Formats: sequence, structure tokens, C-alpha cells
Amino acid sequence: MNFNDLLKNDFIILDGATGTMLQKSGLKLGEIPETLNITRPEVVKNIHKAYIAEGTQVITTNTFGANRYKMKDSGYSVAELVSSAVKNARDAAGEKALVALEIGPIGQLLEPSGSLSFEQAYDYFKEEILAGKDADAIFFETFTDLLELKAGVLAAKENSTLPIAASMTFESNGRTFAGVSVASAALTLEGLGVSALGVNCSLGPDELSPIVREFTRWTSLPIFVKPNAGLPDPNSNTYNVLPGDFAESMSKIIDFGTVKLVGGCCGTTPDYIRELKKVVDTKKYRKAPLSRDTAICSATTAVELSEPRVIGERINPTGKKLFKEALINNDIDYILSQAISQVNAGADVLDVNVGLPQIDEKEMMTRVIKALQSVVDVPLQIDSTKPDVLEAALRIYNGKPIVNSVNGEEKSLSAVLPLVKKYGASVIGLTLDEDGIPKTAEGRFKIAEKIVSRAKEYGLSPKDVYIDCLTLTVSAEQEGCAETLKALERVTNELGCKTCLGVSNISFGLPRRELINHIFLTMALHSGLTLPIINPNDDDMMGAVRAYKVLANIDKNSSKFIEQYNDACENKPKVISSRLTLGDSIIGGLKTEAASLTEKALETTDAMELVNSTLIPSLDKVGTDFEKGKIFLPQLIQSANTAQACFEVIKRHLSKSDSEPVSKGKIILATVKGDIHDIGKNIVKVLLDNYGYTVIDLGKDVEPQLVADTAVEQNIRLVGLSALMTTTLGSMEDTIALIRKTPGLENCKVMVGGAVLTADYAEKIGADYYCRDAKESVDTAKKVFN
Amino acid sequence: MIELKSISRGETVRYLGGAGVKMNSSMESLLDSCESELLRAAVPKYLYKKISVAQDGIFEGEDVRRHLSGCEYAYAVCVTLGAAVDRLIRSSQVSDIAKAVVIDAMASAAVENAAAQVDGLIADENAGKFLTWRFSPGYGDYPLSVQDRLLSILDAPRKIGLCVNSNFLLTPTKSVTAVLGVSQNPIPKGRRGCAVCNLAKDCKFRKAGTRCEF
Repeated sequence: MNFNDLLKNDFIILDGATGTMLQKSGLKLGEIPETLNITRPEVVKNIHKAYIAEGTQVITTNTFGANRYKMKDSGYSVAELVSSAVKNARDAAGEKALVALEIGPIGQLLEPSGSLSFEQAYDYFKEEILAGKDADAIFFETFTDLLELKAGVLAAKENSTLPIAASMTFESNGRTFAGVSVASAALTLEGLGVSALGVNCSLGPDELSPIVREFTRWTSLPIFVKPNAGLPDPNSNTYNVLPGDFAESMSKIIDFGTVKLVGGCCGTTPDYIRELKKVVDTKKYRKAPLSRDTAICSATTAVELSEPRVIGERINPTGKKLFKEALINNDIDYILSQAISQVNAGADVLDVNVGLPQIDEKEMMTRVIKALQSVVDVPLQIDSTKPDVLEAALRIYNGKPIVNSVNGEEKSLSAVLPLVKKYGASVIGLTLDEDGIPKTAEGRFKIAEKIVSRAKEYGLSPKDVYIDCLTLTVSAEQEGCAETLKALERVTNELGCKTCLGVSNISFGLPRRELINHIFLTMALHSGLTLPIINPNDDDMMGAVRAYKVLANIDKNSSKFIEQYNDACENKPKVISSRLTLGDSIIGGLKTEAASLTEKALETTDAMELVNSTLIPSLDKVGTDFEKGKIFLPQLIQSANTAQACFEVIKRHLSKSDSEPVSKGKIILATVKGDIHDIGKNIVKVLLDNYGYTVIDLGKDVEPQLVADTAVEQNIRLVGLSALMTTTLGSMEDTIALIRKTPGLENCKVMVGGAVLTADYAEKIGADYYCRDAKESVDTAKKVFN
Repeated sequence: MIELKSISRGETVRYLGGAGVKMNSSMESLLDSCESELLRAAVPKYLYKKISVAQDGIFEGEDVRRHLSGCEYAYAVCVTLGAAVDRLIRSSQVSDIAKAVVIDAMASAAVENAAAQVDGLIADENAGKFLTWRFSPGYGDYPLSVQDRLLSILDAPRKIGLCVNSNFLLTPTKSVTAVLGVSQNPIPKGRRGCAVCNLAKDCKFRKAGTRCEF
């Protein structure tokens, strides 16, 4: 019997808690439970046997924390602990039960919350999986971070052929500590190809019940349920649900359908499993009907394509000068601000394209995706023509993304579809092939059919293929619009696929483009379009989608429409007091006013003159007020941000007149290796930006080598390093030492700052300047560049 | 149960480094909007456990031993505002860094507030006895490296999602770990203050002639 055979049974009875049983057997506080596999194997075997005696069919090894990080002080290697645990389980099980290799979370948070990288996490899991190769299955249990679990599942898939079950731990609000929703867990894990998925720990069966029900809505895979024996009493550490009541509650959960693997977590003992088995023996397995539509997700948010959803198109350098500059200068914050403004405007998904010939697209794509996922909740669409870029992004993406795109060419199909399958994504299928874009709807439909049938061959569901019937420019081929719409209807009705369309291509070369765009969008929605790819910051386009949802009876009672627009007429533009000067507006932190006053001033004043006679003196005044303790730090920053809005206006003005951008000098900023507190560094960045310096922000947790390399590459004269904790001051010292011995950086100065740093210490580690606060970093920059 | 209802403005201003600066209405409204966002994001969670003052691997250094001298037993304590607060601080750094600075400071005040509530729960359980104040890794010579073991005996990574990274920084960042002692006898005063603070030498409060509330 193997695990897959067992899955064909109605139900699989799992075991109960190991930790609770070990404590009863005399595990001391602070003692590492996994070491008992070696020091007291009989204790571990007896626990397994006790469960098997009550009906457990799959026992889990005593390896919950057996990873290199948690076991560092155990005195044993992971290989020793895991292989002895598997052997103990095997000895206890004999022919009576199967053995699952138990893998718990590493115990350190992954980026961006912590500093463990995806690749490091993968390596930790790989080590456990290789050591546990003699088990019958791999159980990942009690995860709270979906990306960490994904690292584990990929490590299992790539280093073992054993079936995988994966479970997460949810709070009563239906989310894990990291904010992962049930829908996101189900969509992502099902995509990654696990054999069973579900929940364990944290709550008793009654509290877990709504969470399990939610799982049945999102997956048709066998569901795994291991509740605690109720809630613990903090003092006695006993649990409040008795075995009989536990089994009765589980009976109700099993009746939801799709639940197949049942057992217990903290506080449960063989008594609970005995009662549970009695209940299970009276039941017949049935699958709950799956009512959801195809969906994609981030870790926190699932987007079901049961109605039109907007894909924001703005993260793309094509035709955007500022965006290109941002990519070349590694200005991730610019990209993030584009993302946030699209989400605030109502985008449901964001397309992410960072392809530019002069940059390393793979490196940039993974960086941008990580950064985006650390600040926005919407799912992403990974947009690249290069399979290696797609794969790198798919690996580290947290959730189930859309891949943009595959097309009808054999080369594309065979390169992209296996990736989509392996990483459990959805994919956009472009209806073009070796011969270009077919002129007729029939031709495009044929290609759509081919893409869908090839997707099936690779094991993908046609529901996860979203067909793009391609928008042609109506001014060039006027009959093309009808063909696009016809193809769209046929794909929707005959293939049952969802569709997407880049909308604004339609109007190239015509006046009043917005008019054509928004009427075409409305026509396409009426023909069945699910995923318009548009600029969500364009009110008319978003308005068309919202209005369509009212007219198509999707937005029930027009409630979302009303919520969106009811107050619209009240938001009249503010009248700027004629007495307000640009200087005052900067000092007062009035962003909108300052920007329009800058526009106005540029009509009569030279840009550099405006910078030097108004912007900088106003900022200096605010800086002095801050130094004297007259204003708060946030007020200083608000003024700096206001000045930034003015600089943006000036930059746009200059890029129109094609003058060189104003920069007073380039400065590298970095929070040193190991340190994840970067707010101080970011404040410094805002101030330096606004004083006209170009900041190359290397982010947080930065390798010394990257600082030195970038400094050489960009011919940098000033580097700013920040560290918040005493433990990371060593990294600061290392970074400075590396700069000092790197050829070409003889004239490079280093300024340092951070909460625990002192002037004395700064000098001791070889910094040129110590900056007590953000304002002093500006003073330092002035010294260095004057 | 602990609950965050409001967050001390005084504490927030202190963490902003702005003690003594005059408040104006725009700053007030910034604080108001930050407070409501923070209270929406924060999900305070805590754990505590009675431990022996001789517990292995927890009490390193002179200062913590002195702090607990004469205590019958101790408590290991941890509190976190949760991952959503870190996320809020990250995203507001992109959209409005002035707000991020306020929320960051306010979250520090909030986690202190939450920890003080946990102190209260422990005090209730030990009525009639005397508690020392919370002593956290990083105070005096009490090394940050014990964070790991402190969290591990509390089972904090699994129970409330609180971990440390390899530099012993707590993640989520708006979190506190500490030990406190319980004694049959009143605790002598004077174990707290500038004398035991690492930053006393370069303290900007002291330079300005004031003190923080430590």
C-alpha cells in the first residue's frame, strides 16, 4: 500500500499530537523534542504505536522542527535526526500504517517580513526532504507564510517523488498570522500540485469549521483537517474539548464533503483518535460541488474571474521616459508608487513588465515582484517574452499569478506552458502564431483552440487559459474591430475560456482617443471580455467598467457604483488662496497647492532660478525649524515631499524642453547587511531627493559587495549607510572596510547614521561623517559636493 | 485578553523624538488618521510562561541576574502587534513617508501599551506578590542572542507568529520580548533609569535636560 492508494479510500485517519504526548512522557522545558529520536527512541515509538492501536493509518515523524536553523544547538545533524525519526516511525508502523515525513515552518520569517530568503528556505527544506527519503509521504504542517510553504513544496517536488500534503494554520478571522486567506492557500497549493491540503492547529474543531467550509468552496482536492483539542488554558496547558465532543464536531466537518484526511493537533491523544475513528467508520466520502469560477491570487487576496476585472497596465517602460529612467536607476520606489496609485484607482490585478535592453530583466523582475508583493495585495500578471525571466518570477511569486503570455507558435507553447503547469499559474494566450495575427475571427479562434488543447496536454485546465483576441488599430484596419469582438464571443461561448484584451491600441492615430477607447471597451465587455488591460488612473475607462457592471446586473443594487460616485460632485477642486506663495506652501506641506504654484511660476521663471531662489531656501527654513525643535520630523518630511512634488513639475518641464536633468550629485544609500529597519534610510532619501541629489537606493539588508560594486560602476563620491541595531554595526564596519580597499573608490566618502550609532563609534569604524538625523545627511552632502 | 483602544500621544511624540515641540492642528490630524489606520492593522498577541530563575539559556549577563535577584520565579513574556503593522509601515513608506514615520513611532508606543497590559495580567495572577518591571534583551549587558531561546520556550513562532532573524531582530518588528521577576518582598527602587541604559552617554533627552520614561 502506498499513500496514493490510500487516498482512494473514503477516509484516512491521521494521528494526534506528538508534542503533547512527549510532554506527558517527561520532555523538559527547553529540551529539543527532535533529539528524543536519538536519545530515547522507545518513547517516540511508543507514541506512534499508541496512535496506530487506535486506528491511525498514517503516522507523522517526530521532525516538526528538524531543520538546520532550529536544530543548530541540538548537537545533531538534520540527517541524523530525520533519518532516525523515520526509522522509529517505520519500526513502530510495520505493515500497519504508512509514515509521513513531518515538516514544520523553519522558525524564521521570510522576506519581506523577516530576512530569510526564498532560496535559503528552499535549502533548509531540501535537506530535510533528502534525509527523510524513506518515508511514504511528506506532510507540511502548521505553516502561516504561503511563500515559505511554496519553497517547501517546490523543494519536495524537485528532490523527491513522494506525495505531498500541505496544511496551514488559520486564526478565527480566517487568516494566518501572515494574512494568508483560505482561498489563496487553496488556489496556490492546488496549482503547485499537492495531493491534499488543509488546516491544522490553533483552534478547536468548532472554531475551525467555517475555515474548512471555506476550503470546500475553493478546492476539489482531498482536504486535510487536524484541529486542536479546543483552546488551551494558559496556566495548566490543558485543552477544553473532550474526545467524544471532538469526534462529534469532526463529524459535522466531514459532512461538508471533500474532507478526507482527519486527525488531531495540539492536546489530542490516542483517545481522540479512537473516538474519531468510530465516527469516520459510519461515514461515506463525498466531494462537495465546486461552485467557484477560475481565480488568481496573491497571498492575501483572491480574484475570482466571475465578472470583469481590471488589469492595470502602468508597470511597463514602453513609451514611458520616467519609468525607463526609474528602471535604469534602480528606483524601485517609483515603480511601487505606480502600483499603489493603480490599486487605489481600482485595479484588480497589476501587469508587471520591466523589460529594457540595458538592464538584467531577470534580476529586476524578481526584485520588483518581491517589492510589489510587500506593499500591495492585488495579484500580479508576470509579463515577459523570456521564459527564464518568467520562471524566476514564478518561483518567488507568492500566490497564483497570471503569466503574460504564450502564443500559438510551437516554440512559445513548449517553453511557456510547462512553466505555467509546474508553478500553478494561469496564462494569457495570444491568438497569433508563426504567420502573425490572423485577419479573421475564425483564424484567431483556431489558434485559441490550439493553445487550449496544448495546455490540456500539459495538464492545465482550460479554465486557467485566458485568451487575448488582440486589438488592432482601427484607423489602420477598420474592419478588424468586428473580427476581434467576434473572436472574443466565440472563445467565451465555445471554448468556455476567460478573455483579456489590451484596449487602448484600438485608437492609435485618431483624435479624441479616449472616446474611441472607452466605447470599444464597452463593446468588448458586452461581447464577454473578462480582463480589460487598461490604465486604471483613467477615470473614464474605470467608469465604463463600473457602469457596465451596473447595466449587466453584476453590481447588485448598483451599490459599488453608488459608493464610488455618490460623493463625486462634492469633490470640487479647491480654490488656491491668491495670497499663498510657493515658499509658504512648501513650509506648510501643501502638496497640491505647491505643485500648481510651481507650474505657474515656471511660466515666468527659469527652472534653476526657481530651485535656488525658492525651493531650496524654503526647505532650509524648515530644516532649521526642525533643528531648533520647532517642528516634528513628520512635518519636515511633509515639506520635503511637497518640495518633491515641485521638483516633479520642474522635471517634467525640463524633459519637455530636453534640458539635462538637474542633479547636484549621485549618492548611494543602503541599510547594511542583516538589518531590516529601513525607515530612517528612507527619510534620508526623501530629503536628499528634494535637495536635488540623485539617490541610488540599494534597499535594506544590502551586501557590502553590492555597495562597493555600485559605487565603482556609477563613479560615486558619497555613500550613506544606515544600521539600527547594535548587532548590525559589524556589517556597517565591513562595508566601510570594503569601500576603503576597493580600487577606484579612493575619493568616495562615507556617511553613517542610525539609532544606536554615536559620533565616536562612527569614527572608530572609519566613517567620514556621522549624521545624527536626516537633516545632517543633507548638510553632509552639501559639504561633499561643494 | 488585551486590547488596544487608543495609543498614547505623549509616548508617540517621544518616539518621534519630538518631546517639547509645540503641537499644531495639522500634526494633530495626521496623528488621528495614523492612529485609526494602525488600530485597524494591529492584532496584538502575547504569550507568557512562568519559568524558574535558573532556567537554562535565558539569563545571561550580570544585569538581568541583578534585576531578578531575590525573585522566587520569573516570567518569560512576548508581545507582538502582528505582521499587518509591518506591512502598513512598508506601504505607507511608499505612499506617504511622513505618515510612515508617525505610524512607526505610534506602533512602538502601542506595543509598549500592549506589553503593559500583559504585565497587568501577570500581576493579577500573582496578587499579593511583587513584580519587577520588564527586562528585555538588549538592556544593559543582557544579550539579544537570548531572544531565540526566549521565543522558543514560549513556542512563539508557532503560537503567535513571532520569530527572530539571524541578527536576533524580532519579526514582526513591532514586538517585545522580556523577562520579569516575582518576589515575596517589595522590589527596591533604583533598578531602572539612566544608570542602566546603554544610550545614557549619547542620549538626546539628557542633553536637552529631560529624560525619557525608561
